[in-house]
Amino acid sequence: MEATFIAALAGLTSIGAYYVGARALGLSSAGLAAAVGTMLESIGVVLIFLAVNLMTSVLIVLAVRSSTGTFVSAYATDDVVWLGLSMIQGLAFQAWRKSAAEG
Amino acid sequence: MDTIRRRGDRACRLIGLVGIVVFLISAFTPLAYRLNQWMAEPARLAPSDAIVVLGGTISPSGLLSLESLRRTNRGIELYLRGLAPVLVLLGGSTGGGPTEAEVRAAQAKLHGIPADAILTDTHARTTREEAVRVKALLEPRRARTVLLVTNGGHLPRARPLFERAGFEVRSVPSDPPIEPDTPESRLAETRVLVKEMLGWLYYRIAGYI
Repeated sequence: MEATFIAALAGLTSIGAYYVGARALGLSSAGLAAAVGTMLESIGVVLIFLAVNLMTSVLIVLAVRSSTGTFVSAYATDDVVWLGLSMIQGLAFQAWRKSAAEG
Repeated sequence: MDTIRRRGDRACRLIGLVGIVVFLISAFTPLAYRLNQWMAEPARLAPSDAIVVLGGTISPSGLLSLESLRRTNRGIELYLRGLAPVLVLLGGSTGGGPTEAEVRAAQAKLHGIPADAILTDTHARTTREEAVRVKALLEPRRARTVLLVTNGGHLPRARPLFERAGFEVRSVPSDPPIEPDTPESRLAETRVLVKEMLGWLYYRIAGYI
């Protein structure tokens, strides 16, 4: 029930945003496909940063364990904050890439 | 340079698309629950020499995590059903707070389990260490068969470790038999599942199981 409500609400606000964009702001419908492509690119970059961050943190934990004998819990890598940090990194990097391509 | 950039863009789009599809499937379908059920072994409840409750997590203030509570309750239930004479509770501390094993032992005593039927270990930090330390703990009692309590996704990694330590293992998943029905709980289940799969993979590569 909750899932259906959330999905329906997200659908509704998306339709609302399309209406505002197309009618009130005069954006072209054709531009939406390119925007979706850019959005997918940005999410892809965020996911790459997430994967690199997680892999690096696991490798560091294993390296510290094996080289110093000190126990560091692998659960340090299991924190939802990685997603937020990767989003910041990924979006900044993507904006940098795009500005370089345009300039 | 432009070709490389275009290829990079395409790769990022594909990764983004896959990410969104996986996210939507995880949040809006019961896939993670089904996978977890497929991975989990059915409970094998039979009289045994000991009940072993694997460690979960505890906050620095001494609050057991939901998963730790589930495992503890399952262990207490098995003892009260008379399936084993000994309850082994595991788990260290976080940030110098109370240890998980001691907090669990206090709960078990509140349920009427006598102190001399409870064994604790607060030093094991990984599942592999838990298997080794439980072996040493149960050696004087000549325990051979154990009811191993942990979440279903953890069992494929934990069971072989305890079998290697010399036990005949009867798996007892601690998961509630309820399918999560909110996107948030489904995502949480997916996260646990992915973590357990990676843990299993690491133990396989390292040759622990």
